[in-house]
Amino acid sequence: MSEPVAPPETAASQPESTRSGPGRLLVAIYALFALSATARAGVQIATKFSHAPVAYLLSAFAGAVYILATVTLIVGSRTARRIAVVSCSIELIGVLAVGTWSLLDRASFPDATVWSGYGSGYGFVPLVLPVFGLLWLRRLTRRGRGAEDVDARQEFTQSAGLNAHSKDVAQWDRDRANRDRVGSDHDRPRQLSPNCQAQGQGYPGGRRGSF
Amino acid sequence: MNGAVATTIIVAGLALAVYALLMTALNHRMNVPMLAAVGVLEILLLIQVGLVVAKLAGGERPASLGTLIGYLIATPLVPVAAALWGLMERSRWGPAVVAIAGLVAAVLMVRLHQVWPVIHV
Repeated sequence: MSEPVAPPETAASQPESTRSGPGRLLVAIYALFALSATARAGVQIATKFSHAPVAYLLSAFAGAVYILATVTLIVGSRTARRIAVVSCSIELIGVLAVGTWSLLDRASFPDATVWSGYGSGYGFVPLVLPVFGLLWLRRLTRRGRGAEDVDARQEFTQSAGLNAHSKDVAQWDRDRANRDRVGSDHDRPRQLSPNCQAQGQGYPGGRRGSF
Repeated sequence: MNGAVATTIIVAGLALAVYALLMTALNHRMNVPMLAAVGVLEILLLIQVGLVVAKLAGGERPASLGTLIGYLIATPLVPVAAALWGLMERSRWGPAVVAIAGLVAAVLMVRLHQVWPVIHV
């Protein structure tokens, strides 16, 4: 495999950061669970609702939460991220609560849900997924770059009634750049010119930031 | 229906997952050989769907026809969606998405068998 090695997470400094890098994988798995939980609950509620109403309604609720998490992770704006944190938290609480409930009160669960047995029917992915989701969102927030910056810049521009080329916005950008410089030795991979990459000089921060 | 195609899909899906995870571990992006491997999986899945549709056309019915049709529609979409979503990512996480598709293809064959036991694995 003589494939060029991918630059580590340069996309993470772009506005689309919640859905790129490790987020790409996260969104894929969330989409998978959104589809499977919702479709399964839909079929069960339509065909045999009275058999296990609690289980099927919980499956439908889980499906809705997965859809919300998938969409907000793809959108990735500041508001979307907040909603994503809430939906990942609901998921984690849900899988822990329903997991415990399903073990204590088996009579209520004649048929399994996505979350019963702590997601054991789905290889415990439902238990692990919200943890990784929350870690990923926290990592982005700590880095404090990407969509939040774009949002903040836009808000500043709009609130001041300015256009993006005005002096004040240029000053905002300089301030932002200064703040970046202060924290730049931490987790931000620097953008290198293609030329520099071709010479194989690597990155100043090594492979830090490639998760 | 013997289970040769389904068994091949399970083996191919797991092999694709290992290959893609290796690409992720070695920090490689999506490349042409990886896309070709996804294409092979897609063809195998289409053959399997064709076999099941032929069986339905022959007049046999599973207990839950709706679920089966859902699986028949979703199954061939998995490698396509994974390849598109993975290609948009120019980092090691593109192949990671393909790894999930390989695993899902294998799981789908088991689920098809559960939905309609005449589909052997």
